[in-house]
Amino acid sequence: MAEEIKRGHLHPISSLIREANAIFMQMGFTFAEGPLVEDEVHNFDMLNVPKDHPARDMQDTFFMKGEPGAVLRTHTSPVQVRYMEAQIKKGVKPPYSVIVPGKVFRNEATDMTHEAEFFQIEGLAVGEDVSLAQLKGTLEHFFKALFKDASVEIRFRPSFFPFTEPSVEVDMRLVGEGAPEKLRGRWIEMMGAGMVHPSVLQNAGVDPKQYQGFAFGMGLDRLALLRSGIDDVRHMHSADLRFINQF
Amino acid sequence: MKVSKLWLDKFFDAPLPDAQTLADALTFHAFEIDSIEQVEGSRTSLTSLTDWVLDVKVTPNRGHDCLSHRGIAKELSAILKIPLVNDPLSSRSDLLPKTTEVTVDIQRTVLCKRYIAGYIKGVTVGPSPQWLKRRLEAVGQRSINNVVDATNFVMFNLGQPLHAFDAHKLWEGLTFPSVGKVRPSQTIGVRLAKDGEVMEALDKKKYALKDSMLVITAGDKAVGIAGVKGGMPAAIDESTKDIVIESANFDGVSVRKTAQSLKLRTDASTRFEQVLSPELAAYGTQSVVELIQKLAGGELAGYADAYPEPQKPMYANVTVEKVNKVLGTTLTGAEVSDAFTRLGLPYKEESGVFEVQVPFERLDIAIPEDLIEEVARIVGYDKIPATPLPTFSGEVEVNKNFYAAEKAREELGSRGYSEVFTSVFADKGERMVLNKADSVRPYLRDSLLPGLTEALAKNKPNKDLLGLTEVKLFELGTVWKGGKERVMLGTVSEKQKASEKAPEPVDAAAYETLPLSSAVRFEPFSKYPYIVRDIAMWTSPTNNEQQVQQTIQKEAGPLAVKISLFDRFEKEGKVSLAYRVIFQSFEKTLTEAEANEAMDKVSAALKAQGYEIR
Repeated sequence: MAEEIKRGHLHPISSLIREANAIFMQMGFTFAEGPLVEDEVHNFDMLNVPKDHPARDMQDTFFMKGEPGAVLRTHTSPVQVRYMEAQIKKGVKPPYSVIVPGKVFRNEATDMTHEAEFFQIEGLAVGEDVSLAQLKGTLEHFFKALFKDASVEIRFRPSFFPFTEPSVEVDMRLVGEGAPEKLRGRWIEMMGAGMVHPSVLQNAGVDPKQYQGFAFGMGLDRLALLRSGIDDVRHMHSADLRFINQF
Repeated sequence: MKVSKLWLDKFFDAPLPDAQTLADALTFHAFEIDSIEQVEGSRTSLTSLTDWVLDVKVTPNRGHDCLSHRGIAKELSAILKIPLVNDPLSSRSDLLPKTTEVTVDIQRTVLCKRYIAGYIKGVTVGPSPQWLKRRLEAVGQRSINNVVDATNFVMFNLGQPLHAFDAHKLWEGLTFPSVGKVRPSQTIGVRLAKDGEVMEALDKKKYALKDSMLVITAGDKAVGIAGVKGGMPAAIDESTKDIVIESANFDGVSVRKTAQSLKLRTDASTRFEQVLSPELAAYGTQSVVELIQKLAGGELAGYADAYPEPQKPMYANVTVEKVNKVLGTTLTGAEVSDAFTRLGLPYKEESGVFEVQVPFERLDIAIPEDLIEEVARIVGYDKIPATPLPTFSGEVEVNKNFYAAEKAREELGSRGYSEVFTSVFADKGERMVLNKADSVRPYLRDSLLPGLTEALAKNKPNKDLLGLTEVKLFELGTVWKGGKERVMLGTVSEKQKASEKAPEPVDAAAYETLPLSSAVRFEPFSKYPYIVRDIAMWTSPTNNEQQVQQTIQKEAGPLAVKISLFDRFEKEGKVSLAYRVIFQSFEKTLTEAEANEAMDKVSAALKAQGYEIR
């Protein structure tokens, strides 16, 4: 029997990033990146996370040995600041809109729902009148495009993040026949978001009197888990084809 | 923070709605609720004492005011539009009478903005009344005695940590030089601990202190760890007659570091960590003195208040236009003012500008955006419309690295390579992390090759199960080498040793549309080993091959998880078919005997159908 080459499989996270990029690109979002070993200035200070914030405690953050001030980034948010800084340096003023998919790190024990390394997607839109209502519209559009067969509802709940004000938690609910049975009709917590804190804009060199914007950060592993009914987040980094070749 | 519904009811004229309604109100307008629990009251009582306890996840920006029943009651008052009739913070606290019998000496006012000592003489320490025990038990506290319970009650009521010292034990054995006609004064001190100074705390454990920690002293002897825990030297017991009540304001960072370092997080330290207003201390002390006198009698000698720099009034401004611009709403001035009124935020309005005088405990409100958030959550986030971003017509810049990565994925995928992600943590490398929680593989990898080689070895045994003739893997991942962080593309297969290279960025005008994963649902796989059996037979060309496969599946049973035709050839008018059957269970490791038994049934059935087993 002639041996034909079977097509290899794309990792589900890569597939999700590909899909998210295509959806956001149509809304004008550029794909941006930043370093994984980040300085505390970008990971915390410029994001308005005070020096004594518990998030800086040893148990959450990986600090680099012999490199004072260097950490493994705990979120994709430092790229917000890096992107805006770079644009201002080039003399390019807002509007800006970027997405930042990438790996982030939390120094914690791993289990079925927690990994020390995982993926996030950050979104940032800054302009003269980018609003919280537009954040809702943008996320609604994204989830509708992602869960094509279901009807999607979005809701906000109050929350707190040092780098956004107001801050919200975003829940999503899938309804209708096309929704995966396990998710149908249930509100699911999807991400944290909000209006970029004026200090963050200021720190990046963007005038907060003239500009405002929204930002969001969502766990991609969790999104993939929910979407495909994956039972254990550790599959993502298992390099096990019994997992990957299902995608 | 655990909040009792019966306790909350006391702030209002009538009982609040049911616990679920309160939980929903808080969830959508203030804080997440971790749990709702029913707490049974005493069985002997005729009245219903069933209480409900909500575990409220107070956000770090609201620890100033909401780690208290009063704070939560005030939120509920604003959200549900029910007036807060009994607000202990609404009247001024004057701290009278003053006493000269006790003085306060703060050495580090940076770390202690205020210290009030309230001196009560002649109390009777004893058990607390039922109502107080119930309140404390509902929120998970154990009743100790009427004086200590009163300090705890007021802390959970107002958010101000308090501590009661036995006055006699504080100054026992100390002599006070009398200066002229002034009465000798007993001093409470606040100073940094001496390195190695040891104090036995109320938990009966001895703590070795450091010179970064703040302590409370009497005659230079440490009697409490500031903001964290009181000490045994001046503990209240049944013989206590005179007491000194501490109501103070300690620096959040200092308390947090001390509690962390001593591994002694307490209800007091959690509150100070969040930073409290020094104004609150006055309300706390007056409230607890009143309660102690009610429960334990005694006479108030007076207060000594060290408050060198009183908190300044706070103001914040916002315009209706700004509210609507940030939220994307069309709220009216009336709606904005309604939100402020409900929240108890006094304001002046002049030509569309709201100037809010921020209550002293709301240390979270400073900039316009803070006020906008207050309006948004009271109006309700469900009132915010979903508005699309303006239609985008320009060209989105293509990310060269992502484009190159996508090209590589496509090219390797077409050659049969599957994509894996392996850990960035390794046994060796140029850089390492300081404090890994699981303490294995602390280095950042300098190459993808070890991870890929390991992944290859791990996947090889599953080749049959996966229906692969060769395992081929690739990874696009970050490595740290030569002082640089860079993304590498690594490949490995059974025939080709692992290799890696840096993908070249590609300039492109637009992204290509590439296929997405087609999976709908993930199917869990068994973690037990599988067994492979092959069966080959001669058939005639007219035979239905599909029927053969069905027979195998039927006879082999549900443990045959994969059946594939792996060889077929024709010879002298006959057709040889060879099938591979994979047995695997989700519950256990299968035995050879189990597989053989199943295959015997397959053989028998195929023979019965007239096939010649080879």
